[in-house]
Amino acid sequence: MFKLILEKELREIIGTTKFAITFGVCAILILLAFYVGARNYQVSRADYEASVQENLRQMEGLTDWNQIDHRIFLKPQPLASLVSGVSNDIGRTIEVEMRGELRDQGSRFNEDPIFAVFRFLDLEFVFTIVLSLFAILFGYDAINGEKERGTLRLSFANSIPRDQYILGKLVGSFLALVVPLLVPILIGCLLLPILGVPMGSGEWMRLGMIILAGILYFGVFLTLSVFVSAMTERSSSSFLMLLVVWIFAVLIVPRVSVLIAARTVDVPSIDRVDFEKSRYSRQLFSERMSAFRSWAQDNPIGDDHRAFGEKMNEFNKGQDDIYDEKMNLLTEQLNEQRENKSGVQQRLALSIARISPAASFSLAAADLASTSLGLRATYLEAAKAYQVQYSRFMKSKNAGDNRVVISHRMGADEEEPEPIAPAELPVFDYNAPATSETISAALPDLGLLVLFNIIFFFGAFVAFLRYDVR
Amino acid sequence: MIEEGHTPADAQVQTEPEAKAESKTEPMLVADNLTKRYEDGTLALNAVSFEVHPGCIYVMLGGNGAGKTTAINIFLNFIEPTEGETRVDGIVTHKEPLKAKAKLAYVSENVMLYPNFTAIQNLDFFAKLGGKKDYSRDDYRDVLLRVGLEEVAHSRRLRGYSKGMRQKCGIAIAILKDAPAILLDEPTSGLDPKSGREFTGLLDDLRSEGKAILMSTHDIFRAKDIADIVGIMDQGNLVMQKSRRELEGENLEQLYISYMAGYMEDAT
Repeated sequence: MFKLILEKELREIIGTTKFAITFGVCAILILLAFYVGARNYQVSRADYEASVQENLRQMEGLTDWNQIDHRIFLKPQPLASLVSGVSNDIGRTIEVEMRGELRDQGSRFNEDPIFAVFRFLDLEFVFTIVLSLFAILFGYDAINGEKERGTLRLSFANSIPRDQYILGKLVGSFLALVVPLLVPILIGCLLLPILGVPMGSGEWMRLGMIILAGILYFGVFLTLSVFVSAMTERSSSSFLMLLVVWIFAVLIVPRVSVLIAARTVDVPSIDRVDFEKSRYSRQLFSERMSAFRSWAQDNPIGDDHRAFGEKMNEFNKGQDDIYDEKMNLLTEQLNEQRENKSGVQQRLALSIARISPAASFSLAAADLASTSLGLRATYLEAAKAYQVQYSRFMKSKNAGDNRVVISHRMGADEEEPEPIAPAELPVFDYNAPATSETISAALPDLGLLVLFNIIFFFGAFVAFLRYDVR
Repeated sequence: MIEEGHTPADAQVQTEPEAKAESKTEPMLVADNLTKRYEDGTLALNAVSFEVHPGCIYVMLGGNGAGKTTAINIFLNFIEPTEGETRVDGIVTHKEPLKAKAKLAYVSENVMLYPNFTAIQNLDFFAKLGGKKDYSRDDYRDVLLRVGLEEVAHSRRLRGYSKGMRQKCGIAIAILKDAPAILLDEPTSGLDPKSGREFTGLLDDLRSEGKAILMSTHDIFRAKDIADIVGIMDQGNLVMQKSRRELEGENLEQLYISYMAGYMEDAT
């Protein structure tokens, strides 16, 4: 009996014009998402490589490492082409100095604001918006539509156990909708390497998990639709109800969660933190000038300029160290305070947002694509690690200290210096978190999606057992 | 609808054991003191009893809200009786619904079926649902021709069918189930006069095959034409029950109106 109902569902759904049209639209959008994603990746990759080359090129001909203006760049992530997450919001460039705070700048949205307005057509968008509506479109009248057509009465005039009927219906409609959708998704997957997106085993695994998350998300809306259909008498009522639920789940809850969190936890703005830092910096500079004046009184310039220069460099180095120590301490304190509060705010926002399966799916997909909220933090962390390496390198080149500059300027009779070799610079290579890490990060949200499926599946099951089939 | 306890004293059902006496078989369909009161207090059926034997057509006549469909719904276990019971071949329907429904075929008013399936596909699905898995395409074709659906329409989707054509499909589905009892809820409501006459012939055949048929209708002429027993229902009560022999020489239309009128006067 289960097989019979399942087959009927498959045939009933797939044989309709409604399915042909909606499936055609979805298939085109899915393929377009893969194609556009792959093209975007190629463009981003070319931009990245050009930026790296340009960074080295602008150092050519320089003779002093102190003169370089070194930048590092965030390498585009292959899966960001399908789930952009925050990859277009965060800055991709960081200007590296031997010391001091690192700031990311030059986000994609900053460069092309039009994309910030309309966003990209990526796979996450297709799943979150289009496929959830697709699920509702085919599930809203699963039960009450049969009642309206009189087929429910006619079916239950036969010896059919209700549990087998609803199971057949749920599984049948799920398979009828998901299996055809997998075809364009698989074609899209095959397109990725052909279009030049480097896909290692880790990427394939994570892409597989993204698709699994998408299917779970689709299942949530399908089981929810059947559930609502089994709770209502008329298909027009269930459609309206599901539309309201969809608007709340997809459009309102995620946004409201951020608003509530922002109202609840006050996080100091970057500008406020910067203001604190610059005020303290000015205070330190003033202290330094006082110290210099005292030092200058005690150390007159005399005839031996080189000896004076060395003494001044020594003084400056001491002052630099004091400044760095004090400034770093304050920066760390302010940053930590901000990060802590921001963390609390984010956790609160995400906890509220996870009421919505759309938020759970987006978060899981972004985690798996390594484009989640953590991307900026891991990028900055990698940049900080690189800064240490860079600082060590620069010190090995006697760069970064004022005394060298002063010495060189003072020794005007010295020979023409050799140009620097930019290729010697340590290479920055951002590596996304390991596959196991990204999957672990996505597990809670995947678990939530499974939970939503179970709740709505049993909801539909129980509601149908009590449904008036007349 | 009338409230329980207000049943008019003289609204006794004139039961006619003649058909039963003539039949040596056990009744296939039995409504025994059948009462249904809904949660809002409405009494839809009030101690209704009747029997339908194999090879017999029992027609329930009555207006809207008389309780005809409620009685059929209880046979199909779509609702449970408040008191009394219905039995199919001795099986109490609300106690063993799946066993009872295996012996029932059903045709509802306004059969819609699956609009994206062809007539053959609809028949195939419902036949299999009824446990008949060995039918061939020719079997489906034959039964559709038998109910009067032209061959050219067999492979067309039901979306383009008229009400009458869909009704014929519904009747074909009931025939295919080959159940010993058939429940027909206003089956002729969508049929034109020609199709109605064909339908009457079809019921004759089914009666000859030994099916016990319970049909609800408000079509007095069709009832007189085909019924072995006519039961007139009004406001949940079976107010009259007469066999074909008893009805000979009587004007059923007048009888129907007089019973209804008399009953309503008593009820007030």
